[in-house]
Amino acid sequence: MTVTSTGTATVSASGLTLRYGGTAVLDDVSLRLQEGITGLLGPNGAGKTTLLRVLATAVPADRGAFTALGHDPGTAAGRLTLRRALGYLPQNPGFHPDFTAFAFVDYVAILKELTDRAARHREVRRVLEEVDLADVRGKRIKRLSGGMRQRVALAAALVGDPRLLVLDEPTAGLDPEQRMRFRDLVTRAGQGRTVLLSTHQTEDVAMLCHRVIVLARGRVRFEGTPAELTARAAGRVWSSPERDPGARAGWRTATGAFRNVGDPPEGADLLEPTLEDGYLLTLDDTGTEAAR
Amino acid sequence: MNDDTHAHGDTGRGARDDTGRGARDRIGPRGAGAWHLGEGDLRAYERGELTPPLLWSADAHLAGCAECRSRLAALADPVALDAAWERLDAELDAPRPGLLEGLLVRLGMADHTARLLAATPVLRRSWLLAVTAVLVMSAAAADTLRTPDSPTLFLALAPLLPLAGVALAYGPALDPTYEMAVVAPMHGFRLVLLRTVAVLAVGLGVNGLATLALPGYGLAALAWLLPALALTATGLALMPRLGPVLAPALTGGGWVVFLMVTVTTRHGDGPLPPFTAAGQGTAAAVAALATGLLFLLRNRFDSVAPAFTHHSHGSTL
Repeated sequence: MTVTSTGTATVSASGLTLRYGGTAVLDDVSLRLQEGITGLLGPNGAGKTTLLRVLATAVPADRGAFTALGHDPGTAAGRLTLRRALGYLPQNPGFHPDFTAFAFVDYVAILKELTDRAARHREVRRVLEEVDLADVRGKRIKRLSGGMRQRVALAAALVGDPRLLVLDEPTAGLDPEQRMRFRDLVTRAGQGRTVLLSTHQTEDVAMLCHRVIVLARGRVRFEGTPAELTARAAGRVWSSPERDPGARAGWRTATGAFRNVGDPPEGADLLEPTLEDGYLLTLDDTGTEAAR
Repeated sequence: MNDDTHAHGDTGRGARDDTGRGARDRIGPRGAGAWHLGEGDLRAYERGELTPPLLWSADAHLAGCAECRSRLAALADPVALDAAWERLDAELDAPRPGLLEGLLVRLGMADHTARLLAATPVLRRSWLLAVTAVLVMSAAAADTLRTPDSPTLFLALAPLLPLAGVALAYGPALDPTYEMAVVAPMHGFRLVLLRTVAVLAVGLGVNGLATLALPGYGLAALAWLLPALALTATGLALMPRLGPVLAPALTGGGWVVFLMVTVTTRHGDGPLPPFTAAGQGTAAAVAALATGLLFLLRNRFDSVAPAFTHHSHGSTL
């Protein structure tokens, strides 16, 4: 299903298809992004990272096209202009371990064509302060915690004040406290920018995003607001003492009762749906194994 | 520093901290040394015209010398002085350049280019030590197993090392920031060329030093040079199509197979065909052709290499 968006699209993709060998990793993907944070939800293997790489101009699609911030990355000039306005945090950002946080962000700033030393260093200071890492700027990256490294990578993505931020599972592997802190940073970073945030955690989407896209088996299965995704599960979530064999998915909750999603039986004890319920039902509707 | 820089007792209180305070606030108790910035240097600093490494010296000194800071304040108008303090803050945060980076800047290279090269994985000490060790051993072996016309083992091995170095200087195998570099506005080909030149200079330099260990062979001991250039250019030209691992691996493997074939088919004790005058001419032609092809394919370095994409398919989708 595609929910028509009324806002102005900053990124617009149509028919993106990419095959590796015989497998379509992206299969006719069309989407629109607006200013603000859009969550990209999907199970492992859904094609999220590949889609982000295409939108970040790291790999070209076999078919289809997209424009971002008014630029066409299909041309060398458009790609260069877009890259100047792009911040990208890959799924597994690599670091030169002997670099300090400052040196690493400085290095990325050079890659972003900030060649004037004084101006570049001012920018590095600015982004490190933006991610609350000013105090550890002189520490070697190998001595920083996982959460701090992720913030260093976010700082690198923020160099040059990009208008489009592409973040690939930035909260993966972080403990709850680090995750909350990172979410706060992303919320701040999302102001006045277009942010596409890939995650497989519905909490990230519920707390951060004003729009959400669900990707499964390389195809867009839902595009709309988190409230609209949640609404998909309205009247389709119920509680029972044991797992309901008729449910599409069910799991025991902290109270000991089972939470079931699917088509409830007559007289079922209906529950208020959550974003996760809507997400699971969307996956199940597409036959995705992860929903079961 | 200028000639008017003069020796003086220590009046400074310079030290940095990590609290994010401004440079003016974080002057500590340590001294800046028994000298002061000259008038000309201070004026150039105030105008933002000092360049590294002189700029680094001035930054370090100003952080620790109250007298020079006072003289700077007297020279500068308030707006320019604020800009200078801001610049000093940023400089104090900046890391001291490493040995290689500092050396390159002192040789006249722009500081941002030096930083790009310093991040080249194969310019790290461990890699250079390994390359040197291999070459010393092969040169020693060639000297020990003295053959009449050419140090065959050394000549066979030496071209592979620059190839390996260049292959590993850019790409996902050893460069942890590869994916970030690909989507950065700096053209990938420029980064490749920069690192190629640097690694080639180091690799060929080490090879050259090893050649000096074989004085008995004269110019014949330099017969590795053109094959090294040919292999490196070929490996790079194939990289956009085959990826940063397979391309050099196939090129190097092809070189080894070619040598083995020539060893098994040659007659007499003369040098192997690649190390004869005709072979050297062929190597030069291959190097030129591959360099031309590389130039034509320069835009292909603008997206991630095939091997990286395929590898990632299985693990990080």
